[in-house]
Amino acid sequence: MKFATALTAAALLVSGAAFALHAAQTDAVLDAMQAELKRSMTLTLNQLDKPYYLSYTVDDEHTWSASASFGGLISSNNSDYRVPRLRLRVGDYKFDNSNWTGSNAAGPRYNLRAFPVEDANPLVLRQYLWLATDSAFKGSLQSIARKRAALRNVTVSEELPDFAPTKPFVQIDDFRPIQFEAKVWEDRTRRISAVFNQFPNLRNADVAYSAVDSLHRFVSNEGTHVRVQESMGTVEIQAAAQSSDGMIVRDLAIFYTRDPAKMFPEEELTKAAHSVGEQVLKMAAAPLGDNYTGPILFEGQASPQLMAEILGRNLHISRKPVSAPGAATQSTSTELEGRRGVRIMPEFFDVTDDPTAPLFGHEVVDDEGVPDKPISLVEKGVLKDFLRTRQPVRGYDDSNGHARLSGNYGAEIPVPTNLIIKARETSPLSDLRKKLIDLIDQRGLPYGIIIRKMDFPSSASIDEARRIISAASAGGSSRPISIPLYVYRLYKDGHEELVRGERLKGVNARTLKDILAAGDDSITFNYLDNGAPFALLGFGSGAAEVSIVAPSVLIDDLEMSKVDDEMPKLPLVPAPLTLSQK
Amino acid sequence: MPSLALNEETPPFMLSSSIVNIMKSAGLLAIAAVAFGQSANRAANDGSHVVLDTMAQELQRNFDALKKKADPAPYFLSYEITDQDTHTISATLGVLNGSDAGRSRYLDVTVRVGDPKLDNFRRVRGERVEFTGGAAVPIDDAVAPLRQDLWLETDRVYRASAERLIKIKTNQQVKAADRDASSDFSSEESYAHVEAPATIRFDQKRWTDSVRDLSRDFVKYPDLLSSDVQVSFQSDTRYFANTEGTKVQHGRDFSRVIITASAKAKDGMDVSDFESFEAADPKDLPSGDVIKAAVEKVGEHVEALTTAATAEPFVGPAILSGRASGVFFHEIFGHRIEGHRQKDESEGQTFTRSVGEKILPEFLSVTFDPTIKRIAGVDLNGWYEYDDEGQLGRPVKAVENGVLRNFLMSRSPIEGFDHSNGHGRRQPGLEVVSRQSNLIVTSTRTVSDQKLREMLIDEIKKQNKPYGLYFEDITSGVTTTQRSGLQAFKVVPVIVYRVYADGRPDELIRGADIVGTPLASFAKILATSDKQSVFNGYCGAESGSVPVSAVSPAILISEIEIEKKDASQDLLPLLPSPLLAGLQ
Repeated sequence: MKFATALTAAALLVSGAAFALHAAQTDAVLDAMQAELKRSMTLTLNQLDKPYYLSYTVDDEHTWSASASFGGLISSNNSDYRVPRLRLRVGDYKFDNSNWTGSNAAGPRYNLRAFPVEDANPLVLRQYLWLATDSAFKGSLQSIARKRAALRNVTVSEELPDFAPTKPFVQIDDFRPIQFEAKVWEDRTRRISAVFNQFPNLRNADVAYSAVDSLHRFVSNEGTHVRVQESMGTVEIQAAAQSSDGMIVRDLAIFYTRDPAKMFPEEELTKAAHSVGEQVLKMAAAPLGDNYTGPILFEGQASPQLMAEILGRNLHISRKPVSAPGAATQSTSTELEGRRGVRIMPEFFDVTDDPTAPLFGHEVVDDEGVPDKPISLVEKGVLKDFLRTRQPVRGYDDSNGHARLSGNYGAEIPVPTNLIIKARETSPLSDLRKKLIDLIDQRGLPYGIIIRKMDFPSSASIDEARRIISAASAGGSSRPISIPLYVYRLYKDGHEELVRGERLKGVNARTLKDILAAGDDSITFNYLDNGAPFALLGFGSGAAEVSIVAPSVLIDDLEMSKVDDEMPKLPLVPAPLTLSQK
Repeated sequence: MPSLALNEETPPFMLSSSIVNIMKSAGLLAIAAVAFGQSANRAANDGSHVVLDTMAQELQRNFDALKKKADPAPYFLSYEITDQDTHTISATLGVLNGSDAGRSRYLDVTVRVGDPKLDNFRRVRGERVEFTGGAAVPIDDAVAPLRQDLWLETDRVYRASAERLIKIKTNQQVKAADRDASSDFSSEESYAHVEAPATIRFDQKRWTDSVRDLSRDFVKYPDLLSSDVQVSFQSDTRYFANTEGTKVQHGRDFSRVIITASAKAKDGMDVSDFESFEAADPKDLPSGDVIKAAVEKVGEHVEALTTAATAEPFVGPAILSGRASGVFFHEIFGHRIEGHRQKDESEGQTFTRSVGEKILPEFLSVTFDPTIKRIAGVDLNGWYEYDDEGQLGRPVKAVENGVLRNFLMSRSPIEGFDHSNGHGRRQPGLEVVSRQSNLIVTSTRTVSDQKLREMLIDEIKKQNKPYGLYFEDITSGVTTTQRSGLQAFKVVPVIVYRVYADGRPDELIRGADIVGTPLASFAKILATSDKQSVFNGYCGAESGSVPVSAVSPAILISEIEIEKKDASQDLLPLLPSPLLAGLQ
């Protein structure tokens, strides 16, 4: 008896030591990924190129979501699934099958079904990876052959390697599943949406929540092994109303958290729903804006929202893929390319991207298995660095861990994590308003403009988004930015007037130089970047969590124009909510 | 181009599907296999009809206000809400790879402006009418949000309808008159019928264990590249109200097990097979042993197909099994008697002028009967009580003793056929057109299966052919009915045998597609077997995917044409399957 107990204790000690060493749970999926990856690196076909790089990503996703409108549940879902992804490169780091417009040549289709969600038989997991890899290998061989053929007919202005080597990185975390109360959230969503029954003149009003508990796994033949838990919760509250001239006005409040088990207190969300309902009706009743040229104060979240678009989305260098002569490519250069070492903002600004800050954009390792490191992007207004992936670009041949969205031609898109914009010289908000009034006084303008919220991420319909984009390109902008939602005229006597139907014109990265002053506030704005224009909700591919931290800013010489789209007529039948309830 | 297939590529509750888009561009019609059935549990009535009552009230309020204020004013409004409760579980090689459950309600609003003789639904050559968008409405029985949705959708659909009427009226003045001068909307009876919502339960736990176990048997067939066993259950409740006073609430349930597997032959050709079982109530699906046997059959078939001889182009005699024949009739006949095609000038109109004429051998009759729930021990997928225009589903004797008698009618009249016969159908989110229900082929020249085979062998000898063909199963088919396309059809068989006249055993072949033209094919049917069998599936056409059945005895055809399937030339996987021994 005694002997047996001693043995058990010894066994426990040993297993305890083993755990301390690996600090992780066993993971049949990760094991299967590693085993099949190793075997796949032996793939060979005749004398053709061999694989030199292979990575597998398998993300476990546990999702809960529901949406409701005027107190009634529209939908409620929960699902568990796995998303497998692989990147295979043949050739070598200098020259491979990527960065070429035909990079997506398809291999054989093996009629692959959904990736197994159970681990009982690791060989079945490997079966899936085996077929997917075989298909990718054959497709890659076709791509590299066609790329070589095309290069016989075109000269490339600058020869860059195709892929940047990186050091192995290992991070294996335990997975602690979230206990999520879907039923509670269903009821909560219903209750919050019922707030809108108090606003009978609304057209639409919705509340939607979603929670995702995700386990991210990544392995590559370079020795990188990653297993990290990535979870997130979202609540979207939106409403729309119609003005008497037919214009549809809308507002959206979004809440994000990395801890879906906690989400947000109901009172906070109920309050937000009230405020969205009230604001939309105020906007519907507001006068139409007019054309305006002059200084604009971006106050509160409008400033980080603006920075997300004109700074955040321009902080990388795009690479033009090799293409067959005359073939069109989808690649637009960013507005800050070629401006390293150049002043892009006033001298009192510094910008860093800090993935380690405990904000919404926090990240340990990027989609290419490269650890994220804080980087200094702008120092004293001068551009110092770019967000980079493993795709070599002019002037850089290494990644700084910002591959966060899937891009074209075998590359990933760099996206900020926590983009922190700091001003050394600041003034209280009241001084910024005073400055705005001084400026309009000097220039003989009847009023100045304060923007307190931009439509970013946007809840616009695809039709409206198209109208905004075509209006912007007619106005000469290559990259349209989102429309301002809360626009106020500030008169000399200090009173404000809400207006609607305004669009910003010609706002881009150069606008940063026209910042006159920064506030002494620091506003954190969180969003999910999906790569779509205006981060349009429900579009784009994938999602990267981003935090932008910025002070309010006063910017000079901006232009706004009033919307001149055709407006839908008002409904002939009165809204049901305006009738006395039976 | 209409089509029929085993599986819905896109579930019916997903709108603006790729299926719909493909249909729009190519004008294709298609069929695929599946099964629905009746619910025995909808008789109860608890007295509360929140959804239907709210619909009826808001319908009247909107109609009254629009009649007073709108120009042009509507003369008819209808609302249809489709409630779908779906569950799907699938497993491959003993592990789950999918599990989904969802509930949704979609609203379809119809507004008719003008008058029944000429309204916004007038078919203008080749132009597809699309007013409804299938708006998602609350799954709760909640009055306020539902009224809001009904109000907004009515406004949107009214505006689109009024705009089209104005365009049509202009168009009328600049174009020659249509050959078919019938009205756009028929007058029909009204119906009042309310059933309680469905109460059948789906045992998630039991079926999860079951598909996991059943799918594990495919491990025995290492040449398969993919395989799965899937079970699904769907419970639909439809609510319909119109301004003529029809108020209908009805529903149906459907469950099914689908077993599929695929592989590649050495030359790169993809081969596959499937088996399916259907029942209205999941508890009536067959026992595990029956499904297990089907898994083995599919596994063996696919392995055999990887080494089977490839089909050569061939013209000669053949037997189509009952299921294969059902698909054959669905494509080459069914789609061509859908009423609306008879007055669309862009359609081929194969049978428009053939009423009263002999179009099939006189021993054959074809009926479309949505009122039949079960044939040959199988629940039928094309069963329904009311169609999507609130009309009672009725049997339609399309062909009697070889003579064409009737068309499948929605409320869109055609010359000589002024009324609906309850075949106006749609997938939520699309406009109603006339569609098939349960297609049932009956025969007075029947022989036993054994005798039918003897007749085939006689025919092979008579025609001096090396062999004939036996089509055991078919997954799907497509046909083109439009004038701009070839008036042809293609059905895709999965299991086909060469039958030799000299007593050699039947030989499995792969890569054969049946092709042909409709009128020529009918004349060549010589006899049928005495046993009916059922193909349950989903039919895709302009109004989306709708559940249908095709029931037929096996048929002997004196001449059928097959062509080589368009096949890939992919190499087989380079490394051995991880499932093969030695990799543990």
